[in-house]
Amino acid sequence: MKVVATYNIKGGVGKTSAAVNIAALAAADGLRTVLWDLDPQAAATFLFRVRAKVRGGGRKLVRGRTDVTDLLRGTDIEGLDLLPADFSYRHMDLVLDGAGRRTRRMGRVLDPLAEHYDLAILDCPPSISLVSESVFDAADALLVPLIPSTLTVRTFEQLSAFVEDEVEDPPEVVAFFSMVDGRKRLHREVVERLSTDRDDVAAAAIPAATEVELMGVERAPVVVHAPRSRAARAYRALWAEVRSRLGI
Amino acid sequence: MPLDVPARAFALPEGVDPGALVSFLGERFDLAVDPPERTDHTVLDTADRRLRAAGAELRLHTHRGEPTMALAGRPGAPPLTATVRRRPRWLAGDLPEGPLRDRIAPAIGVRALLPLARVRGEVRPARVLNRDDKTVVRLRLATHAAVVEGGEVPLTPRLEVAGVLGYRRPFERLVSVLTTEAGLVEAPGSVADEAIAAAGGDPDGVPSKVRVPLRPDQRTDEAAVAVLRALAGVVEANLPGTLDDLDTEFLHDLRVAVRRSRSVLREMKRAFPPGPLRRQRDALRWVQAVTGPTRDLDVQLLEWDDLVATLPEDRQAALAPVRALLERRRRDAHRALRRELTGEAYGAAWGGYRRFLDGDLGPDDERPDAAAPVVAVAGRRIRKVYRRMVAMGEAVDAGSPATALHELRKRGKELRYLLELFGGLWPGDEARDMVRALKALQDVLGTHQDREVQADALRALAPDLAGVEGGPDALLALGAVVERLGTEQRAARERFADRFAEFASPSRQALVAETFRP
Ligand SMILES: Nc1ncnc2c1ncn2[C@@H]1O[C@H](COP(=O)(O)OP(=O)(O)OP(=O)(O)O)[C@@H](O)[C@H]1O
Ligand SMILES: [Mg+2]
Repeated sequence: MKVVATYNIKGGVGKTSAAVNIAALAAADGLRTVLWDLDPQAAATFLFRVRAKVRGGGRKLVRGRTDVTDLLRGTDIEGLDLLPADFSYRHMDLVLDGAGRRTRRMGRVLDPLAEHYDLAILDCPPSISLVSESVFDAADALLVPLIPSTLTVRTFEQLSAFVEDEVEDPPEVVAFFSMVDGRKRLHREVVERLSTDRDDVAAAAIPAATEVELMGVERAPVVVHAPRSRAARAYRALWAEVRSRLGI
Repeated sequence: MPLDVPARAFALPEGVDPGALVSFLGERFDLAVDPPERTDHTVLDTADRRLRAAGAELRLHTHRGEPTMALAGRPGAPPLTATVRRRPRWLAGDLPEGPLRDRIAPAIGVRALLPLARVRGEVRPARVLNRDDKTVVRLRLATHAAVVEGGEVPLTPRLEVAGVLGYRRPFERLVSVLTTEAGLVEAPGSVADEAIAAAGGDPDGVPSKVRVPLRPDQRTDEAAVAVLRALAGVVEANLPGTLDDLDTEFLHDLRVAVRRSRSVLREMKRAFPPGPLRRQRDALRWVQAVTGPTRDLDVQLLEWDDLVATLPEDRQAALAPVRALLERRRRDAHRALRRELTGEAYGAAWGGYRRFLDGDLGPDDERPDAAAPVVAVAGRRIRKVYRRMVAMGEAVDAGSPATALHELRKRGKELRYLLELFGGLWPGDEARDMVRALKALQDVLGTHQDREVQADALRALAPDLAGVEGGPDALLALGAVVERLGTEQRAARERFADRFAEFASPSRQALVAETFRP
């Protein structure tokens, strides 16, 4: 099972949007896919109409006492299951802190899923935390949405450096541009320059588009509710890149 | 543990209109009906249905003009697909690298994927929704037909129901409505099985093994003939695939069935009239002989990659001409095999053998074991062959020639066939247990002999190699391969003592004498 996490310290940059669209595309390709909603805000859980309630709470889950497969829920997307978020994830850092071997904790929740899935996608909450450390440990790839600006690029470089230096078996860190506004010159320039110059920046960029915003209303990923839109095409291109990088 | 995604398939009774069923369900559940999908696909599996045995289902269809394989996922999930090249059959190596091949290859092994049936039809998907408008059960109403020569054969219309992970209750409620209120019953087999049967095939596939139920008190000639007929059926079933060269297992299974038949004729020879018996044994030996060279080359080629993989890369590259030569030889050998097995001699020999099995074996007085209970005759032979093996094995020491082990292996095969074909006559596990110990012994004896045969065969290539391009380099690298084979042969010989000790332990000797006593 390959593990991909959508990650950025900043909030509202398109992590959840990327996670659900990529998850839907992977499932449609016949890969057995699970999406783990790690965000207490439960955006992905809400999108898939699953009631956010983890029996026993996040504390028990991470301590390895709850059978994680009992918590899985099938979604409206064929072949895509969800490990729902729960309010108790707000205490995740606390739980992880007290749990010893903290960097392996996320991995231990994922271990029993490996025989059932080809791909796990982790939708991370914003903020750097102990959750992040164990995500870095468990992931094969970090997918980092960037809103085009010089500043976000610098933050990305810091993240890459941190992961490279601090994580024992570091995941591949791949950025992609998100909410790109083609009318802004700065956006166009930054995207143009970085996606051609750097191989840790995906060639595919997600345009700012109403269809993405409408996901919450449609309760479906863009690739499902507006498969012909530019945004859907961009997510498909992004998924193709991620898939070939993962070799699955 | 598999995930809890329940699934059921129901047969629609004749005359039930699928549309009426949908409205019936619509009155009882919040049902979303999705647009119908047409399907036109070919069922793929190995001749012996290995994918079915592994719980997998593979289809071939055309997607955007390209031949595409689709491996069914768990119930309610999309298939894993890959674009392939159009071919009459696919070995694992013919599939594009990727997750589809990764999942199929271990299940099919050396066998080829073959088109087994063609299915056309329509599927109407629908979903049961809960209060939150979330999908909690998936349904598929399928009306299919098998495409056969000269038309289509309609298959049982079916309703397939798949649960959604974590929503078992609504699934169970729906199933209960379907079985009680609608009175539906479980569908008979899969669409694939039904289509294969409709096309005149056997859904269980081409057999390689036989299981013939025998009674201990049955006459020996009767029991032996029953087993031989079943084995002859395996030979005949595997002949077309052997001639068409679909994969190497057809020939292998054919030869094993012939070898087993010869073994039964030999072990139970006193149940048959001597003159005709001799002719039939000659006929089967001839079949074995004309199919031998192809099989030997198949083994060489099947083991070639593993063998070569142990060498440094430059050596591996140098060996390409050897492989090419082996392949050429194999092609020639198969051509010769084909000529023989489609020729008059084979027709006459096999026809004669079939008549022998179906005809009258003559008076009992020429055949002392004919009327004896099969349990007595088979038991006597098992004890005898076992005792003989023990004696032969005990005589083996460091100075014994390799042929001593080869002879022992031959007897081992004989014993194995006796146990496999007749072991069911005895209650308890002794026969099965013996097969296990015997297999362990035969493994080392097999490696020991096969490595020698392989090494000899490779040495014999030398004169032909000398002439081809890259020949001298290949010869040099070949030396390393032959050396490697020698090492493996010696290692097998070193393991022999332990395996034999287990096979011939005093407790087993006592048990064999006791279990198979007259
Ligand atoms: N490409 C886009 N075009 C327009 N709107 C977008 C796009 N991507 C995301 N949005 C909108 O921006 C908001 C934040 O997006 P999203 O939830 O995907 O980001 P996030 O990084 O997961 O946020 P959080 O940090 O809160 O988890 C949402 O309202 C979403 O609809
Ligand atoms: Mg989010």
